[in-house]
Amino acid sequence: MSTQWLAYQSFHRSYDILAAINTLSIHIKLMMVGKQDIGRNEAAEHARETLSSFFKRLETVVHDAEQGETKPILGTDPRLRQLARSFIEAKHNWRRYRSELFRNTITHVQQLLWSSEGKDRESLIHCLEELRVIIEQHVHADAVQILGEI
Amino acid sequence: MRDILRQSNFDLLREINLIKKTLDSSSDSISDELRPYNDWVLLTWSELQNKTVRNLQDLDLREDVILPEILSSTQSVTIVFHEFNQRWVSPVLRALLSDRLCLKLLRWLHTSHPITQLIPIAIGDGDFSSLPAPPMPTIYFMPPSAQRELLYLPLFFHEFGHLLYACQKGEMDIFVRNLQEKISQLLAPSVQHDDRHAQIEMERRTAIVETWYVWIQEIFCDAVGFVIGGPAFIHAFSIYLRMLGRGEYRLPPDQLMHRPHPVTWLRVRLLADFAQRTGCDAEAKELSNTWNIIASAMDIIEDYYGYYTPDFLPTIQQTIDQMLTHATPRRFSKQEISNTELVLPITSPVRLLNQAWYEFLKDAEKYPTWEANAIDTFLNTDFPP
Repeated sequence: MSTQWLAYQSFHRSYDILAAINTLSIHIKLMMVGKQDIGRNEAAEHARETLSSFFKRLETVVHDAEQGETKPILGTDPRLRQLARSFIEAKHNWRRYRSELFRNTITHVQQLLWSSEGKDRESLIHCLEELRVIIEQHVHADAVQILGEI
Repeated sequence: MRDILRQSNFDLLREINLIKKTLDSSSDSISDELRPYNDWVLLTWSELQNKTVRNLQDLDLREDVILPEILSSTQSVTIVFHEFNQRWVSPVLRALLSDRLCLKLLRWLHTSHPITQLIPIAIGDGDFSSLPAPPMPTIYFMPPSAQRELLYLPLFFHEFGHLLYACQKGEMDIFVRNLQEKISQLLAPSVQHDDRHAQIEMERRTAIVETWYVWIQEIFCDAVGFVIGGPAFIHAFSIYLRMLGRGEYRLPPDQLMHRPHPVTWLRVRLLADFAQRTGCDAEAKELSNTWNIIASAMDIIEDYYGYYTPDFLPTIQQTIDQMLTHATPRRFSKQEISNTELVLPITSPVRLLNQAWYEFLKDAEKYPTWEANAIDTFLNTDFPP
């Protein structure tokens, strides 16, 4: 009786977040270079909602994880716990992670999702770039468990 | 970079189209029970194709600024396609006439609950497990021999518990959180020290509390298995696992930490406790006795190294009861588990599976003949949920 389901659920959750990051980033970047990208409007809105609920959940788990390494994170599956711990590690890595996501609160980044200010959009793009790195590392671990390595 | 991405996306598109041809060639062997799953596979195939085409369209925009996103998207679609190719396609390509036994039971099971009735199902070869990620289909895995007989089918009811949990994860996680808080309190030392030993102890307590996140889900799934299948689940569970060696009875502490399943002997203890609380005293006693006898023959003394102690029991019982009340799996009736002569037509699969265990335990030699007839009857009967 194996438990690949844990990696499997995490894999699909992470994949949805990655797809949302890429869709929204492309949409905003194209608009910033003067392209309307109307065909992606609906997908971009859906991506904002996906990221918003992800940020909400992540903020709670990160808050629990920041209570101390020896304090348990409760009511959270092991893969999400790991993601929260990777996020905290990134927060402490000042050289590599410099976006608002790691220097400000997650709630602040959540607000950037819907901002139409040029400065906020640039800031959001930077946050999404760095979040993508964390999620890609995370999804790789799940993919290895599900698919194995060649 | 643009040329590399174009090449990779064209290669991906080629493979995606190839798999469609393979799926089309096997569409004739799809049973009615597998058709919703097959429809979902085709829909997912079409989404993968659209995403790859979208990557190529984005490359045609010739905007260097979005190349990192196209790279990430190409990698994501590639990984998901590999998963699709390895996991999702195979239940369609391997479809056999004999799959109907499992598929019919699983279809009935999914229909028995409003939250799962629209979730497609498929089966795969492997040890008992499942991949529940609703609203995506659930693939149930079972060893090939078990797929063709009745006795181990009740183990699907445990797997169905994982699906019920996944469908109601938000609420279930709250029950689990409460349990973890209580276990944390039970483990807390009466006096706090601030030295190296105290630090190690605190880390151990954290590991125990976090490990219970997945353990309680397994205990819940065992309870779901019993609530749906009754004694048939207990027999299937016990006989399948009891001869798998020492590791089912006791494990060293370093192997318990973050282990996805509790030691099976602990699961047996808690399953017996649950069965007894549900009124199946005889089955509970027999289950406990059997495992005690085998453990004793191997000189194994029960020890969970602090990962479980009897003072956890009341809070585990309370959590399981709350989770079951919330999840509301179908419950077996007294009539379905009575050991009387099977009256045709069969009124429920649970009745059939309990009768199968009764017949097997009564006379294992005559059982295969009885089972062959019973399977025939099962396949030709329509069951209400």
